[in-house]
Amino acid sequence: MAAVSSPMQFSRRSTRQLMFLVLVAASPAIVIHSWFFGIGMLLNILLATLMGMAAEALALYLRKRPIRSNLGDNSLLVTALLFGIAIPPGSPWWLLLLGIGFAVLIGKHAFGGLGQNVFNPAMAGYLFLLLAFPLEMTSWHLPEAAINPATENSPLELSGLAQSIQLLAPTTDLADGLAMATPLIESKMAVRSAVSAALDQGLNLFSRTSATGWELVNWAFLLGGLFLLAMRIISWHIPVAVIGTVLVMSAVYYSPGNASVMGTPYLHLFGSATMIGAFFIATDPVTAATSNPAKIIYGIIIGIAIYSIRVWGSYLDSIAIAVLFGNFCAPALDHYLRPRIFGRGQAGKL
Amino acid sequence: MLSLKHFYRSLASGGIRPPANKAETLRSRIMPTPVPEQLLLPLQQHQGMAADVCVQVGDQVRKYQLLASSDKASCAPIHAPTSGKILSIDTEIDLYNTGHRQICISLRCDGQDEALELDGDCVEDHRSLSREQLLARIESAGLCGMGGAGFPVAQKLAAGRKSGIEKLLINAAECEPYISCDEALIRERANDVVRGAEILRDASEANDAVIAIESDKSDAIAALRAALVDSELKLELVSPRYPVGEERQLLYNAMGIKLSRGDLPVDAGILVFNAGTAAAVCQAVMETRPCISRIVSVSGAPLRTPKNFEVLIGTPVAHLLALCGIDHGQHRRTIIGGSLMGKYLADASYPICKTSNSVIATSEEEFPGTEQEQTELACIRCGYCADACPENLLPQQLLVYSKAEQFERASNHGLADCIECGACAFVCPSKIPLVQYYRSAKESIAWEQDRRESGKQWQERFQFWQYRHKKNAESKKDRKLVTATDTDSTQSEFSRQQAREEIAAAVARVKQKRARKKD
Repeated sequence: MAAVSSPMQFSRRSTRQLMFLVLVAASPAIVIHSWFFGIGMLLNILLATLMGMAAEALALYLRKRPIRSNLGDNSLLVTALLFGIAIPPGSPWWLLLLGIGFAVLIGKHAFGGLGQNVFNPAMAGYLFLLLAFPLEMTSWHLPEAAINPATENSPLELSGLAQSIQLLAPTTDLADGLAMATPLIESKMAVRSAVSAALDQGLNLFSRTSATGWELVNWAFLLGGLFLLAMRIISWHIPVAVIGTVLVMSAVYYSPGNASVMGTPYLHLFGSATMIGAFFIATDPVTAATSNPAKIIYGIIIGIAIYSIRVWGSYLDSIAIAVLFGNFCAPALDHYLRPRIFGRGQAGKL
Repeated sequence: MLSLKHFYRSLASGGIRPPANKAETLRSRIMPTPVPEQLLLPLQQHQGMAADVCVQVGDQVRKYQLLASSDKASCAPIHAPTSGKILSIDTEIDLYNTGHRQICISLRCDGQDEALELDGDCVEDHRSLSREQLLARIESAGLCGMGGAGFPVAQKLAAGRKSGIEKLLINAAECEPYISCDEALIRERANDVVRGAEILRDASEANDAVIAIESDKSDAIAALRAALVDSELKLELVSPRYPVGEERQLLYNAMGIKLSRGDLPVDAGILVFNAGTAAAVCQAVMETRPCISRIVSVSGAPLRTPKNFEVLIGTPVAHLLALCGIDHGQHRRTIIGGSLMGKYLADASYPICKTSNSVIATSEEEFPGTEQEQTELACIRCGYCADACPENLLPQQLLVYSKAEQFERASNHGLADCIECGACAFVCPSKIPLVQYYRSAKESIAWEQDRRESGKQWQERFQFWQYRHKKNAESKKDRKLVTATDTDSTQSEFSRQQAREEIAAAVARVKQKRARKKD
């Protein structure tokens, strides 16, 4: 439809730019992650992007939609980015292909493409893999140097790069697969692991061990999120509700010295995927609630789900499931929590 | 500075902050325009009725002379803006290409600008006039609102008189981009605005009068403050956000009164007038000068010197564009009004009316996407539109329902409350022309309602026909029944026999007659 009547003036901001700024906001965290844990995540993202593009083009072709303008909206880049971050670094290529293929074809286009999907495609793809390949999805294969928290690692070392690429295309046995999980998972699975021991003494910034790496990655996601807020790309409602809920729950249930360790609030916020979840995943506008009161409830639901699944559930980290659960609730929230229309229900008289 | 109260209200009422684009026109003072060769005066320049022409083709008229008037309240009279000869009284124009044709008086100006002696005395203080005198002066000056829909001022005051007025609000917010005529007016003639506001307050017998202006218009605020020194009028600064100047938005932002879409301010005991209207009221009452000119902002990239002009009503827009040094190569279309709620003028030779506050000459660079079709991307439900919506609607939901033609759900989500301010379409990153979708949905709803109502009428008629039919049948049956019972009685038997005899007698008489004729 051409602009045949008012308004004639438009803001210059486009969907393309928005999506691009999300990429910009996430990039420091990815750089930090690569610095500490090798380029596995970067490779994940790159490969997911390429394969996702192909899947998107295929879907658009089959649905007889214009390919170029739809690919150009950058939304796929964000999906591939979130998916690439969620998938363990060092995952083989076929795992990525299955996941991003599911995300784009089933998660997004089967529902009618951008704007129509009910579930966050990246998280749908992740959950599909988690259910189908639980073993592959819970072990993080990293270059050797990134594993031992005691040693200073050097991510630019060539052996690390080679290992990362090798892991991506596993021609040899994965016996070398050096597994590692986020500090939160370690604290859940093995109470007295090295990371937990480090945590007991408090995380050390700038010591460039893997625990510090996690911490910095989360701080970077937080900063990226604040950048998105400052650019008014996302509103504060969802991140504040998610983080606030996780913070409150982890503070309430935290009992130091207890054998069943629930983890400190700090661990829940900065030793896990809470930050990226709150700022980058839960805020996906297509699948989130839209009115401001609904957004707050939506964030609280996700926060409760994150904490509950983490602590009482059998899954390790829980952002994907929590967000998908939130997606389930979003339409109902939008239906029932509508803002009051201006002037309605007012007396009108002075 | 904005007070805390006003800041809170601005947070609560959404809106956007588009580039204002007013600095260019505010760089110079208001310039009177030279009289053009010809003026075109539409008989209906506002909501309501068209005036009846009271001159004839070929008449020589003088400035201020009455050209058209009506005894109806919803019609403001029209006066000659300058002296000249009436060329025609039946020129038809379609100002905005809406299919709504207007009849115009065409006046060839003689350049002499001979004025008619104004009847009525100039007064120094309007308090020397009675309320009736004030109203009469306002009515005969042909004033109508100079900001929005252009409601005749006299009619508004009359309605207020009926329902009783407590508060008066002078709207000097002027929030829409490109429009700066009120700001320029206030900077240069704040006294007129304040005095006009006082006149309107006294004419409507309001207890309280407030002038509301956006807090970023510092020059105009200073001028108003100076003019308000010995006045009881209050000045309220509101947050500079579009569309804070919309009547109900301003009532909330300046006074804290929320009205719903259907309510008229006058029903709540409030009258709202534009600052330009107040200044015109001042002239009409103090000098008995009819409304023959107004201030118009003329701006846009293709113009070398954008300006605010004091323009005679009826001046062709092309005349103003030429005065600003227009680059025809760049110029695409012409907008009357602001860039967010304005309308495309169908032809640049069409005139400035009493309600035309701004003219924008558009270029492709400044208004991309208005010329060719913009690629509309999918709605990603980002919700920017919901944050921008001053009516607190959910534009993204309205879009879904409007597109899917689920009009009932659209209505449930408050489609009728949409004021079509265009804030949602302005912020939409997917470049969806939301307002167009809403307009089309509203039209469909109106059409459907029309159809249903006429259907209902037909149904009623049909049912009435059925009812009548049944009644008729029943009454026929009754009648038959009556006759049937009658035949049983001996009296009717007798009358039948009598009738038969009478008929036989008549037949016999006819036969006799015929026989006689044969003879």
